[in-house]
Amino acid sequence: MSREEILQAKDRSIAHLKRIFGDEAETVIAEERYGFISGLLKDVLKKPAIERLTLSDNIDKVVVNRWLGIPLFLAIMYGVFQFVFTLSAPFMDWIDTFFGWLGGYTSGVSPDWLGSLLADGIIGGLGSVLIFIPPIFLLFIAIAILEDCGYMARAAFVMDRVMHKVGLHGRSFIPMILGFGCNIPGIMACRTIENPKDRLTTILINPFMSCGARLPIFVLLAGAFFTANQGLVVFSMYIIGIIVAIIMALVLRKSILKGPSGHFVMELPPYRLPTITGVLVHMWERGSLFLRKAGTIIFGVVVLVWLLSSLPWGVEYASAESWIGQIGSFIAPIFAPAGFGQWQAAVSLIFGFLAKEVVVGTMGAIFAAEGGLLGGAIASQLGWTPLIAFAFMVFCLLYVPCVAAIGAIRGETNSWKWAGFAALYTTVVAWIVATLIFQIGRLFMS
Amino acid sequence: MFKKEITIALAGNPNSGKTTVFNNLTGARQHVGNWPGVTVERKEGSCRYQEYHIKVVDLPGVYSLTAYSPDEVIARNFIVDEKPDAVVDIVDASNMERNLYLAVQILEMGVPLIIALNMMDMAESRRYRIDFNALAQEIGVPVIPMVANRNRGTDELLKEIVNVFEGKSAKKKIKLYYGSELEEHINELEELISHDEELSRQFSPRWLAIKLIEQDKEVLEKIGDKL
Amino acid sequence: MTNQGMPLAMARPGELVTVIGVRAGRGLQRRLSDMGLTPGIQIRVMNSQMSGPVIIDLRGSRVAVGRGVAQKVLVKEG
Repeated sequence: MSREEILQAKDRSIAHLKRIFGDEAETVIAEERYGFISGLLKDVLKKPAIERLTLSDNIDKVVVNRWLGIPLFLAIMYGVFQFVFTLSAPFMDWIDTFFGWLGGYTSGVSPDWLGSLLADGIIGGLGSVLIFIPPIFLLFIAIAILEDCGYMARAAFVMDRVMHKVGLHGRSFIPMILGFGCNIPGIMACRTIENPKDRLTTILINPFMSCGARLPIFVLLAGAFFTANQGLVVFSMYIIGIIVAIIMALVLRKSILKGPSGHFVMELPPYRLPTITGVLVHMWERGSLFLRKAGTIIFGVVVLVWLLSSLPWGVEYASAESWIGQIGSFIAPIFAPAGFGQWQAAVSLIFGFLAKEVVVGTMGAIFAAEGGLLGGAIASQLGWTPLIAFAFMVFCLLYVPCVAAIGAIRGETNSWKWAGFAALYTTVVAWIVATLIFQIGRLFMS
Repeated sequence: MFKKEITIALAGNPNSGKTTVFNNLTGARQHVGNWPGVTVERKEGSCRYQEYHIKVVDLPGVYSLTAYSPDEVIARNFIVDEKPDAVVDIVDASNMERNLYLAVQILEMGVPLIIALNMMDMAESRRYRIDFNALAQEIGVPVIPMVANRNRGTDELLKEIVNVFEGKSAKKKIKLYYGSELEEHINELEELISHDEELSRQFSPRWLAIKLIEQDKEVLEKIGDKL
Repeated sequence: MTNQGMPLAMARPGELVTVIGVRAGRGLQRRLSDMGLTPGIQIRVMNSQMSGPVIIDLRGSRVAVGRGVAQKVLVKEG
């Protein structure tokens, strides 16, 4: 009896109420609730007769202005970029020097294999990643400030018009910005997007937002191969990521995720001055994950790489005959059309699946160097040209995100199918774009 | 060493300062999700107050407890399934009309509610005058004024949480009257539901009746499931 | 629902309008009413340009709605 009866009674009630009110019962219920609240507040809340335009409103006159909005946004993004890199440069130098010294000191430790493990494996590998603590943490600070002061919501508003044209909307914007720090909070932030197709699209293109973990690759290679223009080259990676994300959003929305877009309804909280504690807490929430990753996954992989580079016993460290060389050589040919068909590159990319920082970490462990020395080692030993380095960077930018991000995709979509699809299509896109860059670039060079 | 265990949930609109309150309550003792790959369903932390150990669960920021978005479903299910000892609704004092919409819905769920009236400094700067005692009287639940980003009001909130837990909090049972036509149908459904043992054990019959008339997707699924 | 009134999208910046109804599916209606936009409520248009989202003062907070949504919200002046 019960359940069936209840549901039928419900249907009758709803139909009846619709006739009486001319509106859905739930709308009337909402109205009654607000009516109750209004009545409540009459006795409880006294507002001044005329509310002045708040400071926030006045600021918004400029910030969301039709003509000024987007240029202002771009200016702020560029400002953040400069802030992060200029401020972190001296710190990175100190860390570089420190690890350089530490590496020299420990390589003398005996027995030999321990010295090698410490100097080549751990310091070379881990050190090359830890150098990037300053920019990564500064980036998280910048994002926290933008969020806490309320600007992020305006940025989403300003970008809505643009995003609309590619089948997304303003609410996709914040997850994408978060993705610049780390793809995982970016992917999870997609929860606020109600429309399932919008949500899925935003999740699937999030990996193209260049996360903090990819920074080490860009900074290293840009520094080694484009010294005069390194800032510009690194910046271009971010731009390329955005462009590919936009193109793929269009493609997805026109093919497998066809459908109407969701509605854009968003609150714009008043501007407020971020508190130092607030910013630091947010920075630490995300930055500590990077450190934890470093302490665990990256450390583990770096030791593994050292192991594979040192075996079989007696082989020359990280040569083509070592196990890591053999694995890499087997896979490497796939990358030849893109210009980096060397086993060292192949192996780095494979381990990069575990954590993007590991691409540099692996290189660091293989060449037993970090920082400036590593860049030089890659240039000379792999015979890379700036074009190849650029193609490689683009590949790293676009290919499968780290395993933790894939896990997040699986978690948010509740399906292995989409997680697998994300892993696959990003890698295919990466290969195509990198190959195109290399091949077309070569034509121009000759 | 034997501390009494209290579990509370923090609810509130996005931008209401809920995270700040959470940080004030839990300090360094918070546990943010699991990595890699596992979905972060909730942020949990804890604090000690007198002889109590208080587990604080931070629910997603939502505007309402309908089943329209996954966040709302998560927030609602936590309250229904895990029945915390109290729900603290963080209400932005400079935005009370909309913020109280959520409070009203939480009230209807029958779970003990405390309203944390946050951002009192914002309200003050807009020259609002709020009589929070009158509010507490009329809405029937404790109201604690706070300025979370200066860590003001945290102690009072903790004190009130303990009061509510120990049943020492004076509160009125407020019923929101939806008008005669709606009430007629709500009461009818409420009757039918109260005869269903399992349903009335899990949910407050009136709350369920209202949800049915709202055609709440998740509630319909839950009931239809058991058909 | 009566048909008097115009879409919110056509209201001018600074104008005070009263919501008549929302011509859309239940999903959007509910979304809007959760934010406080219900029939009879007075809202002020804060910012509205030729294209792009509209910012309104809704029960004391600033809410931005996309143009598509603004087309579906029916209001009358005053």
